[in-house]
Amino acid sequence: MIHTIIVKRVLREAVQVPYGNLVTRSTGAAVRTSIERAIAATGCTTALLDFAEVGLLDFSCADEVIAKLLLRTEPQVDRYVVLRGLREDHSEAIDHVLNHHRLAVLALPGPGTAPTVLGRASPDLRVALAGVLRLRVGDASCLAELLGWTIERAADALQSLALLRLLRADAGQFQLIPVQ
Amino acid sequence: MTRIVEIPPSLDERSFDQFAHSFSSGLPEQRALFDARGAQWASPYGLIGLLSAGQALREERRERPLFTVPANEDVRRYWARAGFFRYAEELFEIHGKVPKIRPDDGSDILLPVTPVRASEDVHGVVGAIQERSARILAAELGLEAKATMGFAMALSEACQNIVEHAGTSGWAAVHAYTFRRRLGRRVVIIAVGDVGVGFRRSLEGTQARRFGDRWGDAVALEAAVIQGVSRFRDPGRGQGLAGIKRYLTRWNGKLSIRSGTARIAIVPPWDDDVPMSDNLPYFPGAQLQVIIPAQHETAG
Repeated sequence: MIHTIIVKRVLREAVQVPYGNLVTRSTGAAVRTSIERAIAATGCTTALLDFAEVGLLDFSCADEVIAKLLLRTEPQVDRYVVLRGLREDHSEAIDHVLNHHRLAVLALPGPGTAPTVLGRASPDLRVALAGVLRLRVGDASCLAELLGWTIERAADALQSLALLRLLRADAGQFQLIPVQ
Repeated sequence: MTRIVEIPPSLDERSFDQFAHSFSSGLPEQRALFDARGAQWASPYGLIGLLSAGQALREERRERPLFTVPANEDVRRYWARAGFFRYAEELFEIHGKVPKIRPDDGSDILLPVTPVRASEDVHGVVGAIQERSARILAAELGLEAKATMGFAMALSEACQNIVEHAGTSGWAAVHAYTFRRRLGRRVVIIAVGDVGVGFRRSLEGTQARRFGDRWGDAVALEAAVIQGVSRFRDPGRGQGLAGIKRYLTRWNGKLSIRSGTARIAIVPPWDDDVPMSDNLPYFPGAQLQVIIPAQHETAG
């Protein structure tokens, strides 16, 4: 199940300021807490955070909202975060803080376009993810065949992508995170 | 008995040490008289430095200092437009005629002196600068829309340093003017200052042992600005200054931070500043300045 969270609405409800900017750590912490409550209440698999109409996003707030949201997700929980509606400056701030923490997240650039990765993902992982997006489901041998890699290389990449929660993995099979 | 605190004719970051020396000299029981009669100009950094000095004396419960306003009417009017006197009147016993004009957001003052006490004030500062500065940053400095967002981000992170680390309130101001001699271009200057605990004391609890005898203002600044060290154990901390540095690298800007007796600078090719200065005259808290130059030369 996908649960869409309108970040600007959460911001308005979480802090009583007349601006639509995601700035300061305390604001970020308040917004993240609201998002965590919303995710817990719905029990969704994918939380789709929609940043449309959010003004400025500074590094401190990006760290509090996105990085901490990812860091605080229990490893055993089957839950994913995907972003959409990001402006270029939002993406840069999020990419910067996720790199700092060695984390990554999927972002949807727009309707009909493939998800991109923000944060720490090696060239191998980005290539593997592009392969996963084409295959949607499969295993390491499928991906290895598609990319012309060894099975070990494909399996390593899939495991890393799963640890970063950029795909779902279970019993040797991978699956694209449901985003639509 | 009164002691005179000399205010340099041109009070900016470069002459600030002269002001700090005069401020830190003298006996505690002496009432301070800030003599600005000869002042010809002050940058936002200088104006915030003056207010910080007044606040430092108030927090030390010293006798309310005296302040003689600039003799030059144009200078007085500029300082009034910059919002200086609105807060100076709370901290000093003002002597001289203060122009009764409201602080404004004209073409050169993007953000009048604004107090920063809490997170809500940072929202206010960022909201105000976005409304006022987009046209100036784009038209006068030739910055892309993306750069104006980065500018607001840098201001936000700088102000948050006060809220998160200073332990007291501070001020922020943003002005635009022309660096004719040094650069031949328009620049926008962010100045943020406070009289809080400063970088050394903020980091002392977690970092002093690591540096041993070397520990001091200069090492604390280096740890925070170059190594991204924070007093918080949260691994996500320290990214604010890193973000400012990243923005400045892209737009050829300059960052300098003075705290206690030291000053560190990230120096772009167009400037001849030194990266680190130590054993400066003591001044409380922290004073930060960001300079963003125009991406094209100023005509004339």
